[in-house]
Amino acid sequence: MDRISWCPGCGNFAILRAFEKASQRVMEEGYDIAVSSGIGCHGKISDYLNLPSFHVTHGRVPPFLTGLKLANPKLIVVGFSGDGDGLNEGAEHLVHAARRNTDITIILHNNGVFGLTTGQVTATSPKGRKSKSTPYGNPEYPINACQLMLASGATFVARVFAREQKKMAEVFYRAMKHRGFSFVEVLQPCVSFNNFWDLRKEVFWVEKAESVYEAMRMCEDIRACGVFYAEEKETYEDAVWKSTF
Amino acid sequence: MNVCIAGAAGDGIRGAGVILGKIFGEFGYSVFVYQEYQSRIRGGHNASVVRASEKEINSHGYYYDALICLRDYVFEKHAERLRGVLICDSSFGLEHEAKVEFPINETVERLNLPDISKNIAAISVFCKSFGIEAEVVKSVVRESLGKSAEEQNIEVVRAVYENLDISVGQIRRVGEGKELVSGAEAIAEGMLDAGLKFYYAYPMTPATPILHVLAADSRCVALQPESEIAAIMMAIGSAFGGERAAVGTSGGGFALMSESISLAGMAEIPVLIILAQRSGPSTGMATFTAQQDLYFALNPAHGEFPLIVASPLTIEDSYRLSGELLNLAWEFQTPAVLLMEKHITESHTTAKLGGVVKREVEIFRERSREVFRRYEITESGVSPYASPPALVKANSNEHDEYGFTTDDAEIAAEMYAKRMRKGEEIAKAVANLEPYVEMRNGKDWIVTWGSNFGAVKEVAEELGYSVAAVRFMRPLFLPKISGEVFCVECNYSGLLSKFLEAEGVKLKRILRWDGRPFTPEEIRREVERWTE
Repeated sequence: MDRISWCPGCGNFAILRAFEKASQRVMEEGYDIAVSSGIGCHGKISDYLNLPSFHVTHGRVPPFLTGLKLANPKLIVVGFSGDGDGLNEGAEHLVHAARRNTDITIILHNNGVFGLTTGQVTATSPKGRKSKSTPYGNPEYPINACQLMLASGATFVARVFAREQKKMAEVFYRAMKHRGFSFVEVLQPCVSFNNFWDLRKEVFWVEKAESVYEAMRMCEDIRACGVFYAEEKETYEDAVWKSTF
Repeated sequence: MNVCIAGAAGDGIRGAGVILGKIFGEFGYSVFVYQEYQSRIRGGHNASVVRASEKEINSHGYYYDALICLRDYVFEKHAERLRGVLICDSSFGLEHEAKVEFPINETVERLNLPDISKNIAAISVFCKSFGIEAEVVKSVVRESLGKSAEEQNIEVVRAVYENLDISVGQIRRVGEGKELVSGAEAIAEGMLDAGLKFYYAYPMTPATPILHVLAADSRCVALQPESEIAAIMMAIGSAFGGERAAVGTSGGGFALMSESISLAGMAEIPVLIILAQRSGPSTGMATFTAQQDLYFALNPAHGEFPLIVASPLTIEDSYRLSGELLNLAWEFQTPAVLLMEKHITESHTTAKLGGVVKREVEIFRERSREVFRRYEITESGVSPYASPPALVKANSNEHDEYGFTTDDAEIAAEMYAKRMRKGEEIAKAVANLEPYVEMRNGKDWIVTWGSNFGAVKEVAEELGYSVAAVRFMRPLFLPKISGEVFCVECNYSGLLSKFLEAEGVKLKRILRWDGRPFTPEEIRREVERWTE
């Protein structure tokens, strides 16, 4: 395997380690896991995990995983996506996968920047941010990924900070074990283009909300972390099997 | 015999054409049904042309032996083609020498039935006038319509048969009953016989009927995702999971799939894409046929990778080729494009489908500690296939034999060449699959591809021309032809013609790009015009 090519100090290392821990735990329980990733720094994680994987194209992880899960319902399938990958190019897929309650887990590496193409703004970059593509400041408002997923019908929505590896591993584990569409946003500092490791002083942990509306309010503050929402609902796969056969 | 049923959208013109086609099939005729309809749900002008012959046919005719009008205003549009009987409501007051009139509207109203029953009434008038027994009509109506519509429509048939006493001809049984199938059904059946498990499609005319057919079939899962991009990505996901998957769309949706076709080429994932052509560019004429996307199908995506493209000649051929392409895609682990036309997917014919079998390929599915050598460099270029839970890594990036990303010049060059070598193996396989059809009738030729074949074959036999019809477009095998050559295509510039010209063949183009398919009469007229 190639040496890991992320920048030293990148938040992706923490995600990799936490996921290794969580996936180990899931596999010890007898499950098989397959993963996929999109395009961007996060996408390289497919190469670094000792798991079946498919490094697909930009933004296309959710439909790919949906097709894989339908073909082999016994697999636990996990997709890695970035803020550019999942919220710019692939937002449509993410919304529909959540809406269907497809039994897949999406881990969104949110570093607020296109890292691998040297630092342009993404859908989560703040308004006014200067970058090579926005020399006069970003004219767009950012999107709140967790709110978007809650509004779309995701049945497990969480946010973690890359600094908190243990908590992150626990949330990844719960997300994988959740039956239905699970979404975990990881606040992942990019040391080269958007370094926010300092956020550690500000992040705070919240308890699960009782309703989607409460969860929406809870995750409005981007520094809020925790499992905001979780509910059981018929999955897409179950509905498909029921109606086809 | 060539019969046209014309009316408005919502009058059940399409259904009437299918029912009449089934009646002719029941009497042992070879039948072709062409559906011409507008992109609207109510009103306007729709037509269904049903042709029946004792000889095997694969086209409809230009002139009508009978015209059934469900609206008065559609007559004008068709009058020029009518060479026989006009069948219509008595109240229309249409001028034509040979006419069978019946109070269709009044009868349907008197029986208190919905307007749509007028189509069954009109067919009954036709059948009674041509000596077909009421029982045949009733049994086909029963079989074709759902339980709820059954009784009332049988009542309509009875009312017409009791009150109409006229004979303008006699349709006789010419052989064993034949079954009527649509192009969409043939394509679906071919894929299912070749092991299709998943079909993903976003609705787009004229590929949508394939989705409808498969959605109602429990042998596979057919789903409608958020976009064509999602559809093909789901298919790639299922194929990575070891199950056969296909997608279907028209030009606009195919454009959206481009990126993922390249991904399937790179990651060596088998996927069958059905491209059902309609008149373009852009939205074009959504419900009209065309052969404009040949070059698009041949070059659908960025980068070089082996691709299989074939275009069937008839509805029956669609069954064979859809199955064949799904098998080939899996044998060579690469995307395949079935290039269809509206004139096939939405037409009907009498055909007996059978013969396609799933050719198994080995898939490694065991858990393992070692990463599977999924992209092993081999002489043929084909590497062993594996699906999770096997430790298999697939990649959109250039990769080594284990699927890990690489930009090493040596590995990249070898891996690229490995993929491309599959193209040579595909060519060897396709050479044995009748890449083009040849029929020798004389020294001069009419060349064509796709659905024109049916009309071309008839004209060539009549005028003494040999026929060559290209089926596989990539790898492309061109027939060796000489003498005077015509090339018939439904596009503006002659896309197949250009390939033949590049081989030094001098030819005369017979083209149309008005969204209408060729009839034998029109091709004959063109050939004669050139030879005058």
